[in-house]
Amino acid sequence: MIHKQLRKRIWGGFSAALLLTGLLTGCGASSKPTLKVYSWGEYIDTSLLTEFEHEYNCNVIYETFDSNESMYTKIQSGETYDILVPSDYMIERLIKEDRLQPIDWSLLPNADGIDPEVMGKEFDPDNTYSVPFFYGTVGILYDTTIVDEADLQDGWELLRNEKYAGDIYMYDSERDSFMVALKALGYSMNTTDTDEIDEAYEWLIEQREQMAPVVYAGDDVIDNMISGNKALAVVYSGDAAYIMAENEDLRYLEPKEGTNVWEDAMVITDDCTEVELAHAYINFMLDEEHAYANTVEVGYTSPVIEARTRAAENDFAGLNAYLPDATRAQDEVFRYQEQETKEYFSELWTKVKAAN
Amino acid sequence: MKYFVKLVRPYLIWSIVIVIIPLLLIVLYSVTTGGNDLINIQFTLDNFKKMAEPIYVAVFLKSFRLGLISVGICLVIGYILAYLITFFSEKVQNLLILFVTIPMWINTLLRTYAWISLLSDNGIINSVLEMLGMEPVAMMYTDFAVILGLISDLLPFMVIPIHTSLCKIDHSLHEAAMDLGANPFQTFWRVTFKLSTPGVLNGIIMTFLLSISTFVIPKLLGGGQYMLIGNLIENLFISVGDWNFGSAISVILAFIILIAITCMKRIDKETGEEE
Repeated sequence: MIHKQLRKRIWGGFSAALLLTGLLTGCGASSKPTLKVYSWGEYIDTSLLTEFEHEYNCNVIYETFDSNESMYTKIQSGETYDILVPSDYMIERLIKEDRLQPIDWSLLPNADGIDPEVMGKEFDPDNTYSVPFFYGTVGILYDTTIVDEADLQDGWELLRNEKYAGDIYMYDSERDSFMVALKALGYSMNTTDTDEIDEAYEWLIEQREQMAPVVYAGDDVIDNMISGNKALAVVYSGDAAYIMAENEDLRYLEPKEGTNVWEDAMVITDDCTEVELAHAYINFMLDEEHAYANTVEVGYTSPVIEARTRAAENDFAGLNAYLPDATRAQDEVFRYQEQETKEYFSELWTKVKAAN
Repeated sequence: MKYFVKLVRPYLIWSIVIVIIPLLLIVLYSVTTGGNDLINIQFTLDNFKKMAEPIYVAVFLKSFRLGLISVGICLVIGYILAYLITFFSEKVQNLLILFVTIPMWINTLLRTYAWISLLSDNGIINSVLEMLGMEPVAMMYTDFAVILGLISDLLPFMVIPIHTSLCKIDHSLHEAAMDLGANPFQTFWRVTFKLSTPGVLNGIIMTFLLSISTFVIPKLLGGGQYMLIGNLIENLFISVGDWNFGSAISVILAFIILIAITCMKRIDKETGEEE
């Protein structure tokens, strides 16, 4: 299984390199328009990119990031892209900093297929700037052969149940880790109250002591959970669906205290000059067939109703993680943080990770 | 002569743009606050003061401990390997050195992934253990995994300089030592090892530099919570976006490395003068 993942990565890198060579060699001969897309790693069926290039006679440069923060650091350091696919709170930040162009919805006929439930979230209430790409929740993936059904009642505190010490993966992301702690303590994950944040910090530090070793994993959690290395893991619903399709001992739990309902959306940057082509790209991704190809490839939930229904009935039948419940009152969407709050969290997060 | 001096200019410009300006920027970042844009900066030493917090001191100590352990093991394995290689004919030696460098042709990331599939809880080694009826061992996300990854990555950097200086030793010196009544151990210790110290010191410096600033191997084999200086700096630059504090740590790290190299050079010089 590991090999399958690895192969996928190598092929991913290979096809990206091919795209790049295509660009370099194509440059001199024709002046094809170029579209630079910056998105999450393993978030697309890469064959669609070639298809798009042929259909619109253009070049696509597709680059990937592994966190919203690293994406932000890169564009802040002067790198320019046409289309980004960040998450909710990061989109809110980009809007506030005037880094995006409004979407011309008349150029997106395929947008009719989008589930209205996924639209109009707080970070961009009228979808002026963002077009949903994937959405979902964050939850706990657990191994039914090891985890006791009764313990699931504990919600997030399951991650501090010493029965499973040394048997958990946390998610290597500042906001999601604090989300877990804040929700476990009954606070809002968008809190700015330093007392609450301090308490969450203590929660995470104590967890590292009680449950040692606590592993903060990134994408490697996918391979590890497929091979059943540990009993519990904090994961995104889409990764959960992908993993569950490969390992049937696993189930996905949305803890009772509530969780992060997230949404990743396509946005067009202020630097983009090929605005029409950018809209064509977005529209292309919203096409029922293409959205279906993407969702089946990566396991994340598509906002395009037809694609989602087809995937849920066929490829991910019976996997609760593919259709996460994003409507519970206790769930929240991440909001933009003021600089002061952000720095406060960041410093504590560095300490959580460095603690030993 | 003056004509040739002119030829140095492009190199000077290159090193100013690529080396000196970035270094100065790091120093500037390390003594200021006010964000990454450098628009409204204020000078401060807070970034350095923050380093004194026990959590960060612990990260430094852990990095040094791990760095020294891997360098130590690399030295023992690397020296034996380099020494054994010198016993073969020159043609075979070249081939053997090539074998030592072959792993370097493969991307570090890929090699580290290979370690993951070997070491993980349900990985190849544990599957074999299970087949033999033994209890599986948790190896991933431990010091052991990180040190193993580091050693396999750094070994060529130790073997090559040692081998080079061993090759240069005139064989008649061994014969002379034997003639003068030295036993094999004395010959090795007082002639061979002594004359190979420049290579040993170069190997130590290179592997130490690389091991102390590494971040990919500890991140993959140690997990995201496994914090060494390299990971701390990476984290501060990439995900936290606190370039000021990140630069301060880089400056301190650079300073420590500078001291270490100076010490090494001094030892090198002293052993050289004794001859």
